[in-house]
Amino acid sequence: MLQSKPKLNVLEKRAEIIAGLKAVLPERAVIGDDVSLKPYETDGLSAYRQMPLAVVLPENEAQVVAVMKFCHLHGIRVIPRGAGTSLSGGALPLADAVVVGMMRMNQILDINYADRYAVVQPGVTNIAITQAVQDEQFFYAPDPSSQLACMIGGNVSMNSGGAHCLKYGVTANNLLGLRLVTIEGELLEIGGKHMDTAGYDWLGLITGSEGQLGVLTEVTVRILRGPEGARAMLAGFASNEVAGACVDAIISSGIIPVALEFMDKLAIHACEAFAHAGYPLDAEALLIIEVEGSDTEQTEMLARIRDICAVYNPVSMRVSQTAEESAAIWKGRKGAFGAVGRISPDYLCMDGTIPTSQLPNVLKRMQAMSDDYGLKVANIFHAGDGNLHPLIMFDANDVESFHKAEAFGADILKLCVEVGGCLTGEHGVGIEKRDLMSVQFTPAELDQQRRIKTAFDPDWLLNPSKVFPLSGLSAAA
Amino acid sequence: MILPDTEEALAAAIRGASGPLLVQGNGTKSGMLRPVQAAATLSTANLSGITLYAPNELVMSAKAGTRLSEIETALAAAGQQMICEPPHIHGENQTIGGIVATNLSGPRRVTGGAMRDHVLGVRAVNGSGEILKFGGRVLKNVTGLDVAKLLTGSFGTLAVMTEVTFKVLPVSEATGSIVLRGLDAEQGIAALSAGLGSPFFVTGAAYLPALQQAVLRIEDFATSVKYRTEKLAGQLSAFGTAEILDTDASKALWRDVRDCKYLDIAEAVWRLSVVPSAAPAILRALAPLGVTGFLDWGGGLVNLTGPADQATHEAVCHAAIAAGGTWWLMQAPEPLRAVVNVVPPEPPALAAIRARVQASFDPRGILNPGRLRAA
Amino acid sequence: MQTNFTTKQLQNPEIAIANNILRTCVHCGMCTATCPTFVTLGDELDSPRGRIYLIKDMLEHDRPASEEEVLHMDRCLSCLSCMTTCPSGVDYMHLVDHARVHINETYKRPLTDRLLRDVLAQILPYPKRMRAALNLARLGKPFASLLPGQSMLVKRLRAMLNLAPVKMPVAQSLGGTVHKAIGETKGRVALLAGCAQQAIGPSINTATIELLNRLGIEVVIPAAAGCCGALVHHMGRHEEALQAARRNVAAWSDGPEFDAIIVNTSGCGTVLKDYGFMLRDDAMAAKAAAVSAKSLDISEYLLKIYQPSQVAPAITVAYHAACSLQHGQKITSAPKTLLRKAGFNVVEPKDPHLCCGSAGTYNIMQPDIAASLRRRKLDSLKAKSPDVIAAGNIGCLTQLAGDNVPTVHMVELLNWMAGGNKPEALNGVNK
Repeated sequence: MLQSKPKLNVLEKRAEIIAGLKAVLPERAVIGDDVSLKPYETDGLSAYRQMPLAVVLPENEAQVVAVMKFCHLHGIRVIPRGAGTSLSGGALPLADAVVVGMMRMNQILDINYADRYAVVQPGVTNIAITQAVQDEQFFYAPDPSSQLACMIGGNVSMNSGGAHCLKYGVTANNLLGLRLVTIEGELLEIGGKHMDTAGYDWLGLITGSEGQLGVLTEVTVRILRGPEGARAMLAGFASNEVAGACVDAIISSGIIPVALEFMDKLAIHACEAFAHAGYPLDAEALLIIEVEGSDTEQTEMLARIRDICAVYNPVSMRVSQTAEESAAIWKGRKGAFGAVGRISPDYLCMDGTIPTSQLPNVLKRMQAMSDDYGLKVANIFHAGDGNLHPLIMFDANDVESFHKAEAFGADILKLCVEVGGCLTGEHGVGIEKRDLMSVQFTPAELDQQRRIKTAFDPDWLLNPSKVFPLSGLSAAA
Repeated sequence: MILPDTEEALAAAIRGASGPLLVQGNGTKSGMLRPVQAAATLSTANLSGITLYAPNELVMSAKAGTRLSEIETALAAAGQQMICEPPHIHGENQTIGGIVATNLSGPRRVTGGAMRDHVLGVRAVNGSGEILKFGGRVLKNVTGLDVAKLLTGSFGTLAVMTEVTFKVLPVSEATGSIVLRGLDAEQGIAALSAGLGSPFFVTGAAYLPALQQAVLRIEDFATSVKYRTEKLAGQLSAFGTAEILDTDASKALWRDVRDCKYLDIAEAVWRLSVVPSAAPAILRALAPLGVTGFLDWGGGLVNLTGPADQATHEAVCHAAIAAGGTWWLMQAPEPLRAVVNVVPPEPPALAAIRARVQASFDPRGILNPGRLRAA
Repeated sequence: MQTNFTTKQLQNPEIAIANNILRTCVHCGMCTATCPTFVTLGDELDSPRGRIYLIKDMLEHDRPASEEEVLHMDRCLSCLSCMTTCPSGVDYMHLVDHARVHINETYKRPLTDRLLRDVLAQILPYPKRMRAALNLARLGKPFASLLPGQSMLVKRLRAMLNLAPVKMPVAQSLGGTVHKAIGETKGRVALLAGCAQQAIGPSINTATIELLNRLGIEVVIPAAAGCCGALVHHMGRHEEALQAARRNVAAWSDGPEFDAIIVNTSGCGTVLKDYGFMLRDDAMAAKAAAVSAKSLDISEYLLKIYQPSQVAPAITVAYHAACSLQHGQKITSAPKTLLRKAGFNVVEPKDPHLCCGSAGTYNIMQPDIAASLRRRKLDSLKAKSPDVIAAGNIGCLTQLAGDNVPTVHMVELLNWMAGGNKPEALNGVNK
């Protein structure tokens, strides 16, 4: 993947820069030797790798400010990094860049149940927020599948979704405020602990901006009281198309389940091997449908959904009876990407979104592409909102196989845009989809976005070579 | 008045503009925030009509000048609704473009999200006359910078929206409310917080000081509404015996909350967004100045009205800022709006970025100059 | 994940195995979240994924281990929490074992480090030497806090002294003994009597033998069996570990077949269950596999046969899951089921998956991290207001001792409720 050209004057001064970083940060916060930098060369998308100039691990906001001022002064590029779980290469380094890892800023600063918010540092994992408030039966709603490991700073930067955002919305819908350090080392306080904020919606702009506008140092999220209970049901179908049609029927009926997830046969088998959740191994496609409320409410809602499913001749239907059963069902779904590691050495995970009515059509065309490319694809996705996650299986030790997988992935995303959808629903553009941006946006639209970035980061030092195609860059910058 | 019939014509009008433009739909919100000094008015009123409605995909697109009433009628015919329940405080001529440009949301915002949470995509023309689209028609989309959100609530100062696409949801089978009487503001907010902290998914939570009532809403299938209103009333029994309202009475009540019928409108109107627990003290502190109001969003939205003078305005702003919140001057005679901050001032670092962002959309500074802040 | 081994490298069966493990990893990063050192230190290099990447690079380039690689590998507790979390089934245990051997073969540690490791390797596995050393340490114990300086060596010495028991238990020497069942003999098992355990926790073996005898099981401790080899194994001293394994496999394969080989120190159990892999290319491979197949943690074995004979007092037991049990052997519910069956009120701490910092000799070699994990674990255990902390591993019990809440092996509680003596540790608990 083409990167912008490293700045030679920065590369040449590497030793000085590392010494300079050690002067503004504690010794333990700076990593500068090649052996130790190696594991930082990639993130959750290990097909792309690049050794950084250095890594810093600040422990507080003042240190982040110090790093940014130092880098700005010396014209050094900065790559923000959270847990390194990005599936779009959002934290891929550049040879002349300093990676700013936020993992040590992992404190929960304030929790308020009456006003329903929590203030956390960016290195707090997604699930840790829910764990911190669950004794009071509260939770933080967005639940990306990597929620065990991914950090809230990364969630904000990518505007992460998750299985339950059908009802509760994505990250952007669950934020109240941010603290952000600009490339100049200025601290911006965005929003607060209240709901709407006067002036431009900076919160909305910064959320999902993939580290292009600043480095987050604090996040205030909404916390919600959980429902009385929740139950998942499994419905297996004889084909992908039939399952897709059933999704459409459920949404059309006026029922909005909390979650509505889809897996095809390959995915069902991989996940079952990991989670032992009792997924139907004889089904070609599986829907996981979750509802909330009291026992009676759940039963009533599930009965309505079962009636709809029944029309589509399911090969199996099962309602989980215990919390353990539900947990196993979700463990399988949330570990799905990793579980595919059991049936293929490598995968590329696509993330396009399509209008839900296009599901059967797109699934059929994707299967045809899979046959053409000779690469298997497992489908795991959020069916309720049309967010697809085709996992293209390949062998990274075989260069040709990797190039085919890349081309296959690009074709899938182009198809998503063609049917009225978009390139990425929740994983972000990163490095992976950068060069496909012109499929979705005109040059004028890309330039407008580039100008917004320039307004925050005039020298394009923040996470460059991501999101925006390199061609046409000079025009805007 | 420039009234283009097409997006291209609107873009041409902007390209051809020789000076500042007052950008509006039907102009129903011109009394909000600051007045704009412009020789010409550019209206989206003639860009009208629903362009896409897919009820099974929970999505609608409409040209910016489409009247809100037309949209709500079309949605109701399919048993659906706007999620954020925009207030009808500016008459029946207000357009969807105006609602999006001002990010106005009603009671359901407390748990259902604001207008900005449901905008999926926009088409807009920037100050250079370029036609741009951001976002799309799908429910999840993180492709590129979220410019659709940036334009939402930007009061036409960055670009002129020509079409918006937003998420919609089915109208619930039933609505129920519980009314708790005889509560002061502190008790009222405590009751609302308890309700919002309950597992019953409250979709409306308001406190009406004049009536000393706290009201909470539940929307769902009929059996669920019955079950949950009764359970909730039981859980809130410490706040007194609750009256439970049926669907029709509930709808009437929440229409009135939505449309600020509990505000005895004086010269000036403010909207404050604060943490709910701060709201009662604000009401109390401002009462001696003749400022009255009611609380929505569980107490997070303070709707106020009072005399339109600089001293009162400053007291209101101070109260909002002291509570860590924010404010908008929603309505006031033009002379006052022209000389005061109508939204909180920005710290210098943010002001510099804002100015550059604004210039990136509108390098000539011709779109609604001064609408949010004095130029 | 992509790997870059040459065809020639892959002809080495050890490298071929490492390559297969590395290929399973998809670099998703889930493991970072449940890794005690990543949670504590916040550096990718101190996470399983980071270590896997370091190992990959080291092995691919077939280069000697560097100081940095050794630092981060040494910090790994081998708690195997990552393996419980990993959705892809990466065999981290055998990969890190391989890396430790590579380090042992290619890296020259600083002198004090080498000496300390030699001393530990020469003492811990031998009960008599251990006893003598502990007696010495006890004399030094009051002076632990007086040791000057903050160097790693001083911290390690201090940690050693702090771990020594205040009161020395009665000597235990079980090698070569047979303990007949009480009443009808229903089974016959071998017991791994352990090495350090005989010196510092003899009551655990006593309770185990008593309980099994009471349940009709004959217990044999062959004279030839000794330390399981875990200690040297985790130091990367491959040959010494294999010797221990061969000696034990031979001892347990001699004579009439045992129904099971019982382990009441779960850290050892994980290694016994791995003998089959360790000796896979050895002449004893078949016997080793059979020993691994028969090795059972005491909780696994008791699950079907345990019966209490008296009503338990109202004691709240906080069950601390030893990593070697919950992650290494995937035994999560058996100990809790047994304690509940015995009639106790069983509670669990927050983040039960996190290690207490004991991890063999880790609390000596990495005193800072171990102390921080100990504090975290004790805080979370005490938040549940227990009368006693129970675990199935002597290492954890020693690590968690000395903080007002008594610690006891769960088999001692089970034996008590089956008619045995009240565990000495509970003498202060009157309920």
